[in-house]
Amino acid sequence: MRGRLHGVLLLCVVLAALASPPAQAQAPPRTLRIAVGIDADTLDPAGQTTTTVANMVDYIYETLVAYDYRENRVVPHLATRWQVSRDGLTYTFTLRSGVRFHDGTPLTAEAVKFTLERLLDPRTRVPTRFLIDAIEEVQTPTPQTVRLVLSKPSPTLLTNLTYTTTAIISPTAAQRIGAANLTRDATGAGTGPYMFKEWVRGTHILVTRNPNYWGPRPVFEEVMFRIVPDAGAREAMLLAGDVHMAMLPPAPDVRRLREHPNVTMVVAPTDRIIFVAMNTQWGPFKDARVRQAMNYAVNKKAILSSVLFDLGTVADSPCPGMMFGHHPVQPGGWPFNPIKAKQLLREAGVGNGFEVTFLTPTGRYIQDFQFAQAIAAQLRNVGIRANVATMDWPSYVAEITQPPERTRLQMLVLGWAWVVLDCDGVLFGQFHSSQHPNRGLAPAFYRNARVDALLEEARTIVDQERRKALYREAQTIIWNEAPWIFLWTQKWYVATVKNLRGVSITPIEKWDAIHATWQ
Amino acid sequence: MGRYILRRLLYAVPTLLGVTVVIFLMVRLIPGDPARLIAGLLATEEEVARLRVELGLHRPLHEQYLRFLGAALRGDLGISAATRTPVAAEIGSRLRATVTLAVTSTALATLFGLVAGIVSATTANSPLDYAVMVAALVGVSVPVFWLGIMLMLLFAVRLRWLPAGGYGGPAHLILPSLTLAAFSTAIIARMTRGSLLETLGMDFVRTARAKGLPPRQVVTRHALRNALIPVITVVGLQFGALLGGAVLTETTFAWPGIGRLLVSAITARDYPVIQGIVLLFALAFVLVNLTVDVLYAYVDPRIRYE
Repeated sequence: MRGRLHGVLLLCVVLAALASPPAQAQAPPRTLRIAVGIDADTLDPAGQTTTTVANMVDYIYETLVAYDYRENRVVPHLATRWQVSRDGLTYTFTLRSGVRFHDGTPLTAEAVKFTLERLLDPRTRVPTRFLIDAIEEVQTPTPQTVRLVLSKPSPTLLTNLTYTTTAIISPTAAQRIGAANLTRDATGAGTGPYMFKEWVRGTHILVTRNPNYWGPRPVFEEVMFRIVPDAGAREAMLLAGDVHMAMLPPAPDVRRLREHPNVTMVVAPTDRIIFVAMNTQWGPFKDARVRQAMNYAVNKKAILSSVLFDLGTVADSPCPGMMFGHHPVQPGGWPFNPIKAKQLLREAGVGNGFEVTFLTPTGRYIQDFQFAQAIAAQLRNVGIRANVATMDWPSYVAEITQPPERTRLQMLVLGWAWVVLDCDGVLFGQFHSSQHPNRGLAPAFYRNARVDALLEEARTIVDQERRKALYREAQTIIWNEAPWIFLWTQKWYVATVKNLRGVSITPIEKWDAIHATWQ
Repeated sequence: MGRYILRRLLYAVPTLLGVTVVIFLMVRLIPGDPARLIAGLLATEEEVARLRVELGLHRPLHEQYLRFLGAALRGDLGISAATRTPVAAEIGSRLRATVTLAVTSTALATLFGLVAGIVSATTANSPLDYAVMVAALVGVSVPVFWLGIMLMLLFAVRLRWLPAGGYGGPAHLILPSLTLAAFSTAIIARMTRGSLLETLGMDFVRTARAKGLPPRQVVTRHALRNALIPVITVVGLQFGALLGGAVLTETTFAWPGIGRLLVSAITARDYPVIQGIVLLFALAFVLVNLTVDVLYAYVDPRIRYE
């Protein structure tokens, strides 16, 4: 037995000695290989609901306008300029000249009209049709001009037009492929820096550089998205040099990867807010003091550093920091104060605590099941016995979409992100009384007439200063009535090989590597 | 023999029919609205309602089942709810990867398992026997995904001998098939050892020894043939288990097989794909069992074809 043990030790030493030295600087590889966690469900821009997939589609298709996250404003893309009428009902876009689709046909106003009308057509499956449903008519006054006529003023329309769903499709390519087949074939259909080459189900999606691209030429000839569902395997493939970039390696490894000589961790905050929604129509949670006590009882900072490996920032408002209309209600979040929590519970008549069912998904958000257990442990200190339960995501969605009279929800973990950076997305979606399940996804069942009025006004006027003021008031009310335990906004991360430079993460959980370089 | 096989085939029909009912009901009894899930969290109620009609989910259960069965008999497994491609085509494009993996693993497991088992039995209670049995114990206890990641870290990250994952040449096949074979190897080794030890203690072996045959011949010619009978069953069962084990192995090694297709279909509540794959697995089990029974009858003349 001792002999065998020595053998194992010897083997380890030999393995360590054999380990290859760090890769030397070299010419850029012909193909940039990126490991992603999921296969695409559809390549059709119209059908996009998953950020990772939209991210791949962005290599092929482009939108009229883009979002500059550094400057926090909408910038030209396929349209070079635009004008909004004084009443906010007409948008006129001038298209970039000389742009051609991958099939060789020119980008014209007709193509834009085709794309937008296809999105508005109820026969096309567009899960996020609300992005453009303010558009009533698309006109083409000249071959290079598109005019959108709205049925009502929409302060978010321009930003909405930066999202992948609205990317412009070549009508000729769509006709050749067949509109329904755009889900699996994008040959010739986009204007983007890369052209669709092949999609081998479950294995990879391959795109190849567009030689006639109107913008700056990317460094890599091809980009291959390798589909690797297991986070540990993505990390191993990156370390083995099989891929140059890996989406979301296991969170507990992030600190170690930061120190790895061959790896760069790219980490950035996003607009995904993570919270514990309390059913405001259930038992003790009917009392705002109890909900406030819950906020005092949880030490978010400690959980962030010990369970989330610092992959988050404590929330200071129901609306994440980079969104239009954000108002930091309480910098640093609700303070950790168990004494105050106990006092509030006594005032509310539940000084002896209570028992509550606490639902959380597993693996949907960074360390979700783990931080839910940490929260339950801290609640126990003030006498609240939260029983953590978890289930698979489909069952979870079924559970949280039950209407109030049938729901079993008491408190639950949820993350909310929006595809465009405007507080409307989170505030209306989570706190307007029309959004209670099963019509919406606001499982706190929060109801406040003043908040309803503020949010309704803010989404139908175009005066941005006025909107800011409305959101400021709404955020303050919501924060103080505390239908959530406000936790943090989550960060997003990818690991890349050291040689790959210029990769960034956008606030909407996308990576930006189209113009990455090699050193 | 022909009639025996035919009868066994006929027995398989009610089994498969029962399987279709169970699969059909199980998939639908789990909570969660597939239309809502496929449409995405941000979809409106109208979107979800339209999709429900499109997927036929608004029909009564028995009607859905009869449609599913009727179509399946014609080889039509429906359209994947998530990707809008025919399920049969989806499965077809993944079948090769899984079969390659399962066959290679079965071959490896049978080879290693038999050799280890024979070595162990013939050197019973020696340090070598103990070593093999400890290794077998480790083999059955180690979780597949953990073993997979460890092999990956060693052979791909540290040594850079083999690719860490993915699908391609024979090199890509080595790590996943070793990972997948580990459990079966251990089971087969233990089974072989036990069975062979028992046979070695039997009268006819004593007779063979007594008439002066060299020990190697006693084992290979006389004992092994008899000892293999229960092992065949285990190998057959393991092949079936490998199809299931492939789910984890394929996920770990980014192997584009049916196991992974099943995982993603379950996460997306893609009913048609789940049904199709489980049906295929059931079919494979039935066929493997049939083959085992036939082999059994061939190896052991005591088993009659009645």
